[in-house]
Amino acid sequence: MFASAIFRKAKANGSWLIDNIFAASAVGLVLTLAPLLVFLYFLGHNAYNFTNDVPWGLPVATYVFFVLTSTGLTFIASLAMVFGFNDFYPAAKRCVWLALVTLVAGFTALALEIGSPFRMLWALPTGLQYVSPMFWMGVFYSLYLVLLALKFLRINAGDWDSSLSRGLGLASFVSVVIAHSALGLVFGMMAMRPVWYDPMMPVYFLITAALSGAAFAVFFSYLPYGFRQENMPELLRALASGTSLAKVFATMIGITILSILSRTITGLWSNLDGLEAFQYVAQSPLFYFELLGLVISFYLMVSKAHQRQARWQILSAVLVIASLFIGRYEFVIGGQIVPLFRGAWVQGFAEYTPSFAEWLLVGASCFLFLLLFSAGEKFIDLASERWHRSSAVAHRPDATTLADASSAPSGH
Amino acid sequence: MARWGMVIDLERCTGCQACSTACQMENSLVAGENWQDVMFYTEGKYPAAQLKWFPRPCMQCEHPSCVDVCPVKATYKTKDGVVLIDWNRCIGCKYCQIACPYGVRFYSEVKQTLLPDMRDAWKSDDGKVWDPPFALPKSRRNDKWGVGIPPRHVVSKCTFCYHRISQAPKGTADLDPSDPKLREFTPACVVTCAPNARYFGDLDNPQSKVRQLISEKRGVRLLDHLGNKPQVYYLTGGEAGALPGSRATATRV
Repeated sequence: MFASAIFRKAKANGSWLIDNIFAASAVGLVLTLAPLLVFLYFLGHNAYNFTNDVPWGLPVATYVFFVLTSTGLTFIASLAMVFGFNDFYPAAKRCVWLALVTLVAGFTALALEIGSPFRMLWALPTGLQYVSPMFWMGVFYSLYLVLLALKFLRINAGDWDSSLSRGLGLASFVSVVIAHSALGLVFGMMAMRPVWYDPMMPVYFLITAALSGAAFAVFFSYLPYGFRQENMPELLRALASGTSLAKVFATMIGITILSILSRTITGLWSNLDGLEAFQYVAQSPLFYFELLGLVISFYLMVSKAHQRQARWQILSAVLVIASLFIGRYEFVIGGQIVPLFRGAWVQGFAEYTPSFAEWLLVGASCFLFLLLFSAGEKFIDLASERWHRSSAVAHRPDATTLADASSAPSGH
Repeated sequence: MARWGMVIDLERCTGCQACSTACQMENSLVAGENWQDVMFYTEGKYPAAQLKWFPRPCMQCEHPSCVDVCPVKATYKTKDGVVLIDWNRCIGCKYCQIACPYGVRFYSEVKQTLLPDMRDAWKSDDGKVWDPPFALPKSRRNDKWGVGIPPRHVVSKCTFCYHRISQAPKGTADLDPSDPKLREFTPACVVTCAPNARYFGDLDNPQSKVRQLISEKRGVRLLDHLGNKPQVYYLTGGEAGALPGSRATATRV
């Protein structure tokens, strides 16, 4: 009975695109995870190209990318659910789901990267090393996962506005602010690595996380509707075709560009030992791809001729996602690329190129994310529209515009 | 309780790397994993280029950042001043490798750059990284100290040969390898140092040789400005005035 209900729902919701993504990502997950596990079984971590100079490689960058994206998605959802920017309600439920699944993807990347992930389950609570930022990162990202899951269950049951549901929304927002700050400080407290050493690192992470979340929100709000505004439910279409989304997006891109330039120029200018890493970064074509991607996105989102059109919004989102992934990689590697007193004749920059197994890990994380996202689209109604519309209609029978809908009171 | 420290006289060090070899043999290290290393490098350009070397064990810092960052308290500082790793707790997150300013920590399972991979020649059947025939006897190994052969997926480091120094008679001011009674308690690198460039003793004992050398020859510490305050001091020639270790003295407890 339950299975047939799910099946009916799947048929009703599933577009061919989502179905195909679901199938392809399931295949992709098997094709990446299976060989990776074989590698890990036979070679252990020798399958990865980490060295003692660069102990954190591409998998950690992937983890940072996904968990900060999750953070950003919660920020976007919280615009509506915590801060009362009702325009963003139509995207909120999907954002909460996306936040959950990006977090799971990030945790998966980390679990496949660290030596003994299961030992962590007892060693973390029995160690209680409260001076370690990584300890707090673990505590608050775990708490955030639980709160976010509970919040999603509430809104999936149609409960958006009870005090419990609102409390869960607020609590998950607060926990993720603390969690991402702890992650920022995992890097920002490292005085011996000046590329990272920055008490404002949580703020930098906050800005870039918000942008990352916004890009995911845009791309994955379009995807279930075949990337066409006209297929979207009314209120989501109003959000997508309005200017406020583009303005918020552009503002975050702009601040991110400024942050990256400020960090890079300071790094290139300074003589401080270790900041040569910025020369390494600036010599890489990836850095210019990252910058160019952000600049083009910024232009598209401030240009009145482009900012409201689906194709440019989607292109911007894709460019931002790619740029930020490169940015996370450069950030993680950049802090380690200048070796610390490492051995005879080790001079110049450390060498690190991700191994095939590391790319498999990235692939597995991405396919897991896509699989969970498309499963959500197939089996759960991720559009916030239905509730919103009925709520709006219930209170304002003539409510058809975004402005009207956004004033829909609580009480469902 | 002693607070063990080391003094390395750079005027005496010949860069022979016997210390590195002794350390490798004592601790059964995989090739390339040098808990005690001698860095060779050049400074300047022709015709004024200089060949230099610099011996570098773990600094066993007074304020070890590796201990503070470890999320599971696997790495800790003993009462006698040595930083150790409990291999039974380590989760292999490698954050301590990130946080160590001196690059003295090693992950037990990284791809070998020196081939052939000797770990394949002597495989371990009890979950260790390898099982070489010249290993420390099992009775002297201790996973809670990070002494012996590490299991897979943990971080390892110089322990000041804790299996040796922890057995030293109480109240010993200096572990002098020239004293036959103390030789077996002295770290392997100190015992083997042919030019006698290494001294090992109690930093808190005013009578110790290490304390006297640090005072009289003005021992300096590597990257002192970072505040980790190594318990390994270097003697660089000695007669010049001392440089302040930090910009304001006694501001940090």
